[in-house]
Amino acid sequence: MRKNIRTGLSLLLAGVMTAATLTGCGQGGQSAADANGTAANETAATVDNAEDVSGETAQQTGDSVEQDGVTQASGEAVTITAWHDNDETMMNALADVVNEKLAGENITLRFEKKADVTGQIKLYGTDAANGPDMYLFAHDSLGGFAEMGILEPVGNLISAEKEKDLLPMTLEAASYKDEQYLMPVYYETLLFMYNKDLWEGDIPSTTEELYDYMVEHTDVNAGTYALVNQHSTSYNVAPLINGFGGYIIDKDANPGLNIQETKDAISYNKKFAELQADGDYNTVTALFNEGKAAAIIGGPWLVSGIREAGIDLGIKSLCDFTLPNGEVMTPYSGVQCLGVLKYAAENKRGALTRVLEVLAEPEAGITLAKEFNCAPANSKAYEDADVAANEMILAMEKSAEKAVPMSNIPEMGVMWGPAESLLAAVNKSGEGVDAAADKYQEEALQAIADMH
Amino acid sequence: MRRLINIRKKHCRQSRICIREKLNLAKWRDLLRKLGLINEGLNKVMKNSRKKFTPWLYNLPAFILIGIIVLFPILYTGYISFTNMNLYHWQDYTFVGADNYVRALGKLNSDFFAALWTTIGWTVANMILDVGIAYILAVGLNAEGLRARRIYKTLIIFPWAMPAYVSILAWRVGMYNTEFGLLNKVLVALGFEKMDFLSKNVPAFLSCMVLNLWMSLPYMIVMFDGALQSVDRSMYESAILDGAGAWQKNLYITIPSLRKVMAPVVIMTTFTTFKQFDIVYLLTMQKGSVSGSTMQTIITYAHQNAFVSNNYGLSSAVSIVIFVIIIIFSAWTNRAAKET
Repeated sequence: MRKNIRTGLSLLLAGVMTAATLTGCGQGGQSAADANGTAANETAATVDNAEDVSGETAQQTGDSVEQDGVTQASGEAVTITAWHDNDETMMNALADVVNEKLAGENITLRFEKKADVTGQIKLYGTDAANGPDMYLFAHDSLGGFAEMGILEPVGNLISAEKEKDLLPMTLEAASYKDEQYLMPVYYETLLFMYNKDLWEGDIPSTTEELYDYMVEHTDVNAGTYALVNQHSTSYNVAPLINGFGGYIIDKDANPGLNIQETKDAISYNKKFAELQADGDYNTVTALFNEGKAAAIIGGPWLVSGIREAGIDLGIKSLCDFTLPNGEVMTPYSGVQCLGVLKYAAENKRGALTRVLEVLAEPEAGITLAKEFNCAPANSKAYEDADVAANEMILAMEKSAEKAVPMSNIPEMGVMWGPAESLLAAVNKSGEGVDAAADKYQEEALQAIADMH
Repeated sequence: MRRLINIRKKHCRQSRICIREKLNLAKWRDLLRKLGLINEGLNKVMKNSRKKFTPWLYNLPAFILIGIIVLFPILYTGYISFTNMNLYHWQDYTFVGADNYVRALGKLNSDFFAALWTTIGWTVANMILDVGIAYILAVGLNAEGLRARRIYKTLIIFPWAMPAYVSILAWRVGMYNTEFGLLNKVLVALGFEKMDFLSKNVPAFLSCMVLNLWMSLPYMIVMFDGALQSVDRSMYESAILDGAGAWQKNLYITIPSLRKVMAPVVIMTTFTTFKQFDIVYLLTMQKGSVSGSTMQTIITYAHQNAFVSNNYGLSSAVSIVIFVIIIIFSAWTNRAAKET
């Protein structure tokens, strides 16, 4: 008898373990809906609303199509899910703007935070049951997704008339092979950010004057710095590379790590790097926030930490610094855009169009600008008095006139590695620029060849 | 007494039921035999085959699970390695024969062999130090008269219990960082210049090794400690009577007694060390924090040469090649272990 009970229990346990192990493999709509629902509850801006909507529609049948736990048919409630890896408060504020506007139309936008969004989109980009409807990410990943064939061109969902106020630079960044795939929401560029209590005198107008100031005000062994920068990260060195006329990769997918202009920029960057600590993101951010560095080259993503540290922050556009060749520092611009997945466009076209139309209006940009210092993609947003008075946004707007949008071709994805290794080899390992540039140019060419 | 009587009664009752059942069964068996429905030879064969297959049947659920979790990914990787699945053929990939293997083998160049030698050096150095230090510490922890040994043993397990990712980042910032790291604070306090421990290959190799030892020693110490408990104390007493010193006791009693118990642990740790990725990658080549060192193990080499390109056909072929290398290494290690 006891043996039977033991056998029964063992079988039951084995069955439960097997079921539990295989649960994740399920593709069923219901489990996906549950999973999405659970995750969304953590971040959704309008959770109650979304749940009510789900509850209402779950009972309806007919011609409806079940998607992510929400039943859609014409005029019925739809929830649009968008993945991101940004600040959750910011994304919820953006969702609130959209949801308020579309409250009467039974359309709800909710954002879900995911680590490694681009990796997740690669995995779920064709999985209608478990993937999102949209994602928000910087535009440089566009080419890869477009080539994979998982994106619906935004131009198919929203009319050009509705997008007429978007800055041309942002539309350019959102397009690939003459097709607009993404909806620009806001953009970022690197800025010169300084602690007004620590910086002595005026901010220099040339990079040579800046260097002189750094030499005078830096004590490496004491751990105090005039200016810190991620000197071995290609995004942060791009203002010099672009300013010197070099490039990391051109529009025809030719790497430019060993062209003379790029090498000149890297050599010029090296003398600054010697006075900028190890260039690691955590190190330079901590140095600035702890008052051990008077200035930092960074973006709006640093502001919340800087404010928490109680620093009186001053901002200057990098384009205000003139290089020895007479050109100005020219940073990359990164445009944060929404991409729509193909399967979502097939099932939720109307709702997606409405969400995109609201996001193309100035209100979304104004909210992000006022509360989070983001530079809106909509030019009309800059007419708002508060936005027009925001020092950081003004500096980014000024930079945007000169800034170069990051390349969005698929090959850009494999260039970050060799470019960063080149900078680290020169700045940290003391390798010669010429030899290192040739070596990593080869590596870049190999990486591009390996893509096919 | 009454309890004993009850047990006996119960036993008799059960025995009677059994006999009755047996009689009934025997009756039925005779009847079936008379009717020609039971063939003795066939019965024997069936009994034997049942005996053979029953264990397999019991293990079937486990085999199915292992198949799904372990075997399927390997087979699927093998399948993908024969296709051109990449960014440009994400959904419409086709069979391309052994093209990816030709390209993968092309990656076995001088850089690969440099990475292989680094990996072998890394494995040997780490294992010698790991086993040596763990043995000394475990013996020390078992020394007679040591007070609060349980506290030491609990503290020692701490690095092993920490998630690897957290440990590695904590060491990168807390120990090796030029501005906030303890080592540089000490160097500056002693009047030396700051040093970037991760920017050049040799210091980076040593830094990675120290961290690897910090993370792996607790496991090895605990295993040694457990194995030491199994050594017969009377052998030490006899050795003392024979005039043996500490060195001789270790050499002729402790080490030979531990060898068989520790062999599987050492083999498993050797594999873990051989295919180490996290420490080298996170300390020296994490995106956004590249340290400048060009040190590569075969796993980081494979990652850098195949996995960043989004060419899944090629990456799969490289994975299979590495898999074969590890299988060969595994077979060689097992053979060496058997011989000892």
